[in-house]
Amino acid sequence: MLGLSESTATGAASPFAAPALTVALCVIAAVGTMIALPGRSKTNALRIAGAGMMGLAFLTIAILLIVWAGKSLGSISYAYFWLFAAVSLICAARVVTHRLPVYSALYFVITVFSTAGLFVLMWAEFLAAALVIIYAGAILVTYTFVIMLASEASGKGMISKIAGGEAELPDHDGVAREPVVACLTGFGVLGVLMFAIFDRAGGLNAYGSIGDSPAMTQTGSIQDLAVYLFSEQLVSMQVAGLILTLAMVGAIMIARKRVMFADDERLAYEAETVVGPSTPPDDNPHSITVSGESGPRAKRPEPELASLD
Amino acid sequence: MPTLPEIGLQHYLFVGAAMFSLGLIGFLTRRNLILMFLCTEMMLQGVAITMCAFGAYHGNMAGQAFTIFILTIAAAEASLALGLIVLLFKERHNVDSHAWKQLRG
Repeated sequence: MLGLSESTATGAASPFAAPALTVALCVIAAVGTMIALPGRSKTNALRIAGAGMMGLAFLTIAILLIVWAGKSLGSISYAYFWLFAAVSLICAARVVTHRLPVYSALYFVITVFSTAGLFVLMWAEFLAAALVIIYAGAILVTYTFVIMLASEASGKGMISKIAGGEAELPDHDGVAREPVVACLTGFGVLGVLMFAIFDRAGGLNAYGSIGDSPAMTQTGSIQDLAVYLFSEQLVSMQVAGLILTLAMVGAIMIARKRVMFADDERLAYEAETVVGPSTPPDDNPHSITVSGESGPRAKRPEPELASLD
Repeated sequence: MPTLPEIGLQHYLFVGAAMFSLGLIGFLTRRNLILMFLCTEMMLQGVAITMCAFGAYHGNMAGQAFTIFILTIAAAEASLALGLIVLLFKERHNVDSHAWKQLRG
């Protein structure tokens, strides 16, 4: 409460920027992103120019932020914030605009690392470690694995210059879908969010410093988090564990379908060698179904058990 | 006493909002199913930054606890989505979202 009242007194008077300026910056960034997105008739120089436009818009917003906050680049953690924010946003833009999926995933790893840096600046050390371990260590490895497993040039492709050499690029990686509408939507959302953050935040519409409350800095932050989680959010923790269990069961079910698919292929292959049905087909539900039936739930003799004996 | 960062709440909120918007653009424009889900993860990360900044601003642990739940959901979503994508790829040998157009109905 103290932080709220004193920050309202210090910074509520100065607006961030004129609304027209914010809209113009969002439009410039949207046009830049539109140009930077992969497309059939776009050269690399054009896409770099689009990325430059987007970077210029974000740089202007950063300068406006500095002016609005009324602070100079003095403190060392100030520099760290700008470093981490710039790296994370640049790499986020590269994730969106890069043509090769593997490179997008690797840029996302850098985004995760710099977001972890931002978390450290916000006194969330446990979350920074968890983000690196879970995102960069587990989820992104799985993504890269699936990208390499399921990347197959299909249909008509386009030739793209990548790192000196030329590579065939499938159409769904090289051509963006509806770039104009998507960029207008995305930066429209950003403009509305900026309006809400800087102009219509009510009591929060002020320069409030992050991390200066005694609870965040004096005691151990991780200990506080654990006490909070296991006292006040106990039910939520149990529900989170339930969700993870459900996801695991669901993933196993999806994987099981794949095994049955392979099983059916094998049965279909075996069915070609069968000359005729071993039992005459009838409507009796208690009879054993015909061998070579391709339904996954159909009853069938089990030759592999016999061969094991 | 560590050095306090001289950065306001709105700085972090802007970074979170920008990352959310970039993820939204990526989700709408990319046609690769895997990259669409990767951009969803990026949107979740923008929300996580926002949550954490609000938690640090108010000086309590609610923001960090909520970010942990976001991480949980992201992990569950990634496992299910990637399993589904591998299944779809086995069906059509394609990760293009246009290959599944008839699902629109």
